[in-house]
Amino acid sequence: MLYKVLDKGVYRDFVKALISEYEFIGPKKKDKSEHDFVLIKDISELDTNYMRTTIPPAKKILFPPNEQLVAYELGENINVRSVVESSKKILFGINAWDINGMNFLDEFFTTDFIDENYISKRKKLIVIGMDSEPTETNFSPSIGAEYAKDGFDIYLTELKNRYFVRIATPKGNEILEKYTKVNDAIAEDFKEYNKYMDNYRMKFKMSVDIKSFYDDFESIYDNGDFWKKIAKDCYSCGSCNLVCPTCFCFNVKDDIELNLKNGKKIREWDSCMIPEYGLVAGGHNFRPDKENRLKKRYRCKLKTFIDKFGKYACVGCGRCIEACLAKINIAEDINLVKKEVSI
Amino acid sequence: MGFEEKVKKNKNTIYVPDIARITRIEYLSPTEKVFKIVFDDEEIKNKFEFKPGQFVELTVFGLGEAPFSIVSNPTNKDFFKLCIRNVGNISSALHRMVEGTKIGIRGPFGNGYFPCQKMKNHNVLLIAGGLGIAPLMSLIRYILHYREDYKEIMVVYGAVNPGSILFKNEIQYWSNRGDISLCLSVDNPDNKWTGEIGVCTKLIPRVDFPSNDTYITVCGPPIMYRYVIDELEKKKFKPENIYLSLERRMECGVGKCNHCHIGDKLVCVDGPVFNLWEIRNLKEAL
Repeated sequence: MLYKVLDKGVYRDFVKALISEYEFIGPKKKDKSEHDFVLIKDISELDTNYMRTTIPPAKKILFPPNEQLVAYELGENINVRSVVESSKKILFGINAWDINGMNFLDEFFTTDFIDENYISKRKKLIVIGMDSEPTETNFSPSIGAEYAKDGFDIYLTELKNRYFVRIATPKGNEILEKYTKVNDAIAEDFKEYNKYMDNYRMKFKMSVDIKSFYDDFESIYDNGDFWKKIAKDCYSCGSCNLVCPTCFCFNVKDDIELNLKNGKKIREWDSCMIPEYGLVAGGHNFRPDKENRLKKRYRCKLKTFIDKFGKYACVGCGRCIEACLAKINIAEDINLVKKEVSI
Repeated sequence: MGFEEKVKKNKNTIYVPDIARITRIEYLSPTEKVFKIVFDDEEIKNKFEFKPGQFVELTVFGLGEAPFSIVSNPTNKDFFKLCIRNVGNISSALHRMVEGTKIGIRGPFGNGYFPCQKMKNHNVLLIAGGLGIAPLMSLIRYILHYREDYKEIMVVYGAVNPGSILFKNEIQYWSNRGDISLCLSVDNPDNKWTGEIGVCTKLIPRVDFPSNDTYITVCGPPIMYRYVIDELEKKKFKPENIYLSLERRMECGVGKCNHCHIGDKLVCVDGPVFNLWEIRNLKEAL
């Protein structure tokens, strides 16, 4: 990691240069309370001072809701080929917890089998991070995701008259050298940066007691009444999955054109909360109850990947809490598990 | 050649199937047929290797993909066979197909399979309910191929009615061989049936294999496992020697789509065959 500072006077020119040179994805104001990461053509569209994005930016680019995997032509011989689409992009202004969400997906899609469709996009993505204001439902400091250690090329932190710049990759360094001028960070910069981070961490209102969840979850696992109570209002709509930066479940379906010759395989996001999730041919459903599905979601988010990767599959962004129509709150539920067990 | 190497070699992604042909369709029962499948590409054909208990993902082009376990003998290198019940979209399309139709195959998948090497020099008890005989067929055929490496072999097989007993010819052949014993029972007998009546669990108390020298494999409908395990435990068989093949919705086969999640494991990657000791740690598995 290299630590530099970027003067605010040259920041705009730096961003302008990137917009003109690259396919530049950044936050743009959508309505009063919401931003969306879209292709930015002019710096006037860019608004890094954002709080809320519904669809996680990295997932939107790297693991889109619909994606073609395979193309085939039917006939005497069947020709099948893989479809991998990727292009060089800059993802600008993504915050720390979304970077950590992307880090999880990076690890997931390269474990056991390598998912080229994901990773070829990832390899060509230049990530420039920036802090954003947390929403009231954000509990990422409890998970340790309010700060990004890696996964980005450059991370900009806004101080009084300059940006504190963390450079994690040679590519990030190259871009800075090419398009702007940065100076080495000195002790004073670090001091101000640390002060900034302390203040920044104070902005997070919600916290969860996750430390003992790993064991508490098992002890409460068979308590049917507890889970019934938690999932009582769930509509099984899957909103929580759609907005989650780490949810990766998908369906693969075949689609054939009207000429019955050209076809493709497409993957689209699935949701572990909908009743069809565990349904197999013949009509047996392995997960017929909504409380079972919610419990499974919590296990997947908060336990499974502690064993596999040593990290949570939750970054505490709080999107699922805001998206839930039934006001199911993962943060409250984590604390509730702790409370219930300690009685 | 493992699946991953094959993917690398062909420069394909893990989601691209290899083209194969259905070369023969055998009728087993009104709802089940056996499909013999041969790869088009000579090299892929020669290098396709599987272990008993593994499965493949079969693509019906234009319709979709579904997992099926392999029923043929792993020592047959030229082809493999799938036993398919007509229950879903893909399987009903397959049942309408004629010999020579081209399909797509990915796999074989599953790092959990029946440990046929470990079972050598031990007794093997195979318990199947209904279509659960299919994944076990591959193992039975393998064991019979190397029969002298194993001690006593017994198959306990329960079916709904005499008409739904699968692989009747093969079963006939076993009784002629005399070196594999068979307990067959049906839930709903017809008036010609002279064998056992009831669920196959009832036959387990009669098994007289020593508990410390026996490997057991179980496959059947989800409801069957708990009762079978109860019976096996009464006989003091060791959980680490009991292997169960589990079914879940295995859509991708490569541990990505997550539908086959049980506890912290994925059936497609960690299974589909688990030993009972592992399953003890997986709530909801049974």
